Amino acid sequence: MRHRLDLQIGPVAFRLGSAWCEPLDVLARLYEPYPAPRDRICDFTVRLEPEKPWRRFVRPSVAIKGDYVLPDAAPMALAHGLLAAEMGMNLQMALGQKRYLLLHASSAEKDGRAILMTGESGAGKSTLAALLGERGWRLMGDEFALLDVASGKLLPFPRAVSLKNGAIKVMEAEVAPERFGPRLEGTPKGVIRHMQPNREAIGRMAESARPALILFPRFGQAPAIRAVGAAEVFMRLTQASTNYVNLGRRGFDALNRLIAGVPALAIDYPDTDTAIGLVEDFRQELAA
Amino acid sequence: MSGTDREEVGGEAAGGRTFVPSRRTVLVLGAAAASTVITVRPALAQTAGSVLNCEIPVPGPHAGGNYIAPDGNLVPPGTQGAAPPLARPLRGEEAKQLLRGSTPPGVNPQSSQAYANYIRRLQSGMSGFTCYASLQMPR
Amino acid sequence: MAGPRYIADPEDSVSTVALDGLSVLFHAPSGMTHIVAAPAPEILAMLRAGPADAAELLRRLQAHYDFEGDEAAEAIQARLEELEAAGLVQRA
Repeated sequence: MRHRLDLQIGPVAFRLGSAWCEPLDVLARLYEPYPAPRDRICDFTVRLEPEKPWRRFVRPSVAIKGDYVLPDAAPMALAHGLLAAEMGMNLQMALGQKRYLLLHASSAEKDGRAILMTGESGAGKSTLAALLGERGWRLMGDEFALLDVASGKLLPFPRAVSLKNGAIKVMEAEVAPERFGPRLEGTPKGVIRHMQPNREAIGRMAESARPALILFPRFGQAPAIRAVGAAEVFMRLTQASTNYVNLGRRGFDALNRLIAGVPALAIDYPDTDTAIGLVEDFRQELAA
Repeated sequence: MSGTDREEVGGEAAGGRTFVPSRRTVLVLGAAAASTVITVRPALAQTAGSVLNCEIPVPGPHAGGNYIAPDGNLVPPGTQGAAPPLARPLRGEEAKQLLRGSTPPGVNPQSSQAYANYIRRLQSGMSGFTCYASLQMPR
Repeated sequence: MAGPRYIADPEDSVSTVALDGLSVLFHAPSGMTHIVAAPAPEILAMLRAGPADAAELLRRLQAHYDFEGDEAAEAIQARLEELEAAGLVQRA
């Protein structure tokens, strides 16, 4: 392909190819502080291709291809090429990841203890993790958490955080402008802006952590906390995993070990500061 | 709700030696129509097939029985004006119909706007996101 | 009138973990995971004694448990059909 970029994110190396330079240029700036993949060995390939040859120039239209594809998936406008690249990488992970149990969850770590946050998008898990990352925690990921089935540890996947709509302003108030990508308007999810994790998160992206708390946050509700029963956690986490079934017995055992060893709470919160306060309280209790 | 002891029992039919539980507990058998077995399905139902055959559950499994308000948000069951969960997931083709303003067969026309807005609000990670993602971008 | 008889896979082909009030089962022959409520695990345990139809299972269960309601036989048949659909039991 005409243009190429290799990216290392946590334990996963991607090779991205593109018919246009623009998406990869933006991606390269966003991922500038990240280390290059070692030995140029890549786990997954993503290709941004024109839907038809002439669509490289006329109303440029980006089809997402790669090792794993969704046939007949609708292409995206070139202005959203950055988003196409991100969706391409998500897709490779969702369909192709066989080494780790993939959980759709955000995660952050402090003092060796990791908190796993999962729930519907809009529940605030990405924003909470990003904020914790600016308040003394290490951001491990905003979208995917990787559970090592052998060791039971969580591995980071600290990609550029995908902030949507209201969350953009929240993070712009806390984070230097150089760490943001372009503002993408009119996407199917509204306005999107990507944020680079801080240097600590990037520098420690090879470091795993022991999961210590599973949280199901829900934004926009009066504050409430409840313990979540093990069976419900099991069901929710299988639904939050794209490769649980593929992993078979190892997935079953890994998930049960996670649930047996880690408390789970559902929290409703009216604003992020309340949630952060709750998380800090839990952390202190766990440390005691 | 299980009120059972989880002891091993065997050899009953052969009149053999079983250990007798120290207390009898009530075993809830469930109504004939009830459901007691849920099979964990792959989260991306359409890994190999065409997007037109992918499935979007409305709402997704996290909804916990909630209903869908006309703007597509989840609300408690029985909220006035809210649409109930769909009995079966929508196929990609049916979701496209909804998004275009028509009503696929088997869907209550009065609820179709709620369902359409729910699908529009679908974001990454919920069941059906990837299917949805491939439906929406204008060509 | 005897209904269909069912059998379950041997004990070592299913891993069961009890979580608050429900059980999660990994069925090795199919690689599938099921989340089940009572009386599914109890029915599977009773079937290990040998093939049985719903009436026979009812008798085996009655030796250890009390039941509520009058629909016991129909309920057990329904549970067996569910378990069959899930691949956890088969017709003998």
